Amino acid sequence: MSTHGNPIPLDEPVVVVIGSGAGGGTVAHDLATEGVKVVVLEAGPYLTADDYTNDEWPAFNQMAWLDMRTTSGSYRVARDFPNLPAWIVKAVGGTTTHWAGATPRFMAHEFAARSTYGEVEGANLLDWPITLEDLEPWYDRAEKAMGSSHRHGRPPMPANNNYTVFANGAERAGYRYYATGPYATNAEPYDGRPATVQDGFNFQGDKSGAKWSTLVREIPRALESGNAELRPLCQAVGITHGSDGRADAVEYLDADGNLHRQAARAVCVAGNSIETPRLLLMSDSPSHPDGLANSSGQVGRNYMRHLTGSAYARFEQPVRMYRGETMAGIIADEAVHDPSRGFVGGYYMETLSLGPAFLASFIEPGSWGREFTRLMDAYANTAGMWLVGEDMPQESNRITLDPDVTDQWGLPAPHVHFDDHPNDIAMRRHAYRAADTVYRAAGAVGVHHTPPYPATHNLGTCRMAADAADGPLNEWGQAHDVPNLFVADGSVMTTGGAANPTLTIVALAMRQADHVRELLRTGEL
Amino acid sequence: MADKDSATIKRDTSSALRGGPATLTPRQRQILVRVLRLAYPHDSFPDGPYERTADAVVEATADDRRLAATLGPDLDMLDTISDGDFLGASDETATLLLREYADEPYFRQIRGVAVVALYDDREVWELLGYEGPSFDQGGYLHRGFDDLDWLPEARITEYDGEPRTELRDVEEQR
Repeated sequence: MSTHGNPIPLDEPVVVVIGSGAGGGTVAHDLATEGVKVVVLEAGPYLTADDYTNDEWPAFNQMAWLDMRTTSGSYRVARDFPNLPAWIVKAVGGTTTHWAGATPRFMAHEFAARSTYGEVEGANLLDWPITLEDLEPWYDRAEKAMGSSHRHGRPPMPANNNYTVFANGAERAGYRYYATGPYATNAEPYDGRPATVQDGFNFQGDKSGAKWSTLVREIPRALESGNAELRPLCQAVGITHGSDGRADAVEYLDADGNLHRQAARAVCVAGNSIETPRLLLMSDSPSHPDGLANSSGQVGRNYMRHLTGSAYARFEQPVRMYRGETMAGIIADEAVHDPSRGFVGGYYMETLSLGPAFLASFIEPGSWGREFTRLMDAYANTAGMWLVGEDMPQESNRITLDPDVTDQWGLPAPHVHFDDHPNDIAMRRHAYRAADTVYRAAGAVGVHHTPPYPATHNLGTCRMAADAADGPLNEWGQAHDVPNLFVADGSVMTTGGAANPTLTIVALAMRQADHVRELLRTGEL
Repeated sequence: MADKDSATIKRDTSSALRGGPATLTPRQRQILVRVLRLAYPHDSFPDGPYERTADAVVEATADDRRLAATLGPDLDMLDTISDGDFLGASDETATLLLREYADEPYFRQIRGVAVVALYDDREVWELLGYEGPSFDQGGYLHRGFDDLDWLPEARITEYDGEPRTELRDVEEQR
């Protein structure tokens, strides 16, 4: 088994972090660099810049989480991509190695969704146990760590062609709050990493290192501290606990399928919003019959995937949207709560580009004939944007263990059930119209509305709740039922907000790591 | 446990049986190429990309023994329903026939492979005006990432006027 960093014995109880992405990588870094011993278990391989390829399908097959998953529900992904509910990464650095880079913060009212929006039928809304004010110091730290443009003295990204179309349309449509960020890629060298070369490959892994990820920042620094060991190709399959009710070890399979057991002083789960609840559900025991830390019954529930939708506009002249930073363009004017629009919550518009290989699969899944090929024929003259907004948590949208289908290890595959809430549908319709307005103002001859594709933002399935009856985690992402068990990924989010979640995941992970160190200092862990 | 209502769509594709690829007659192969051209008609594309896509479709049948066995006969059917000559039918007529067969499993599977293979073809990228890998050439920093000249230069900094309103008229509407 190939590992990295200082070896830590299996029987030494340390902090075990499961997952090395935005949440896990950050927690591991913040603990290890402050003297706390950490073992990081990562299900995927250790890929680095030289491994990445500027080619969409090979990159997808190299990086994406492709283990068996099943789906159901009325959402279109269950029909178009029945075994791919989420497009996330299985590799060291997790999904930060293919994220686009947009870093807006959540708005104050989004931490109080239940109080602000009131009762929304069918939605399981809840206020977060923390406020924006509580999180602000960690937002500052996260933005500095990630090098967000437009923040803390970091310069703005220059405009690429896709942005020039997007921003001109925004201005002419009467929008004001548009810019090329905040965006966590270097416009100029920063933090030991170079400036972007505008190569246009974000979702395929960044070969230059200009884009922040835990692969290029937190993981190497954690390993250099001498206090961390990273074990790639190790899939956690169970968390065990002692008679005192505390987690005492993590069981995992190595690349050859051999079972190991790492003793744990504390466990931090950060496997993204599908694997995290799956692991807790698989870790049931006589004292946790419905899954570990699941006395609330909310583990796996309230799965959110953000509004999502895209708009691709055709122009009479070349755009070449694929040149340059993919998502360095944000319009925030619609990220407001304005019930007069017919829905609660808000959304952002952000530039987006796909190459022909991916655009063909995602622009209108299943479509063929002239109605399809005219979209592809216009490729060089096409501009693209993504629509990302708050979707409603619903108890019935959930991750369960599939009773019939197993993964390559013979373990129950995660099953994802999702139905759109009427609020999601109303917001998406509004967002498509807004995209039409922006692009028509810039001179578009046609705008195609692309339906939601496999989720890149997966949230809410282990939510933080002030009251243990409402969710499995407290305000620190610490399990109400198991005091030395933590969760540090998007699944902790009480509600989803409109913003791309990575910045908030990192800020929450930093805050959690500070709390863990305090508990270690006082002997509570 | 997973919900099991009648609206449930759940497919497990992991158990399809692998075998050898389909063996097509020259006629069946020609029909397949025509199907691909009608399904993804691009006036600017020569035959090469469609031929290579047909190769990919045949190769993919190795993942599914049932499809490998039925692809040839299903393609023969297109001749049968077009008075014996699918290749001789007009584009319009042939496309209408395919519309009727749109939900046939074989045609769905052909499209599923073709939409990936055709648009992952280097010649197709060139025809569509896509330049492919760029990092080895220094990205687009000095190769036109900002060369759009038919619109004015846009502001890249954030708006410096009054801050954005995040909550609008909520009290009034309650």
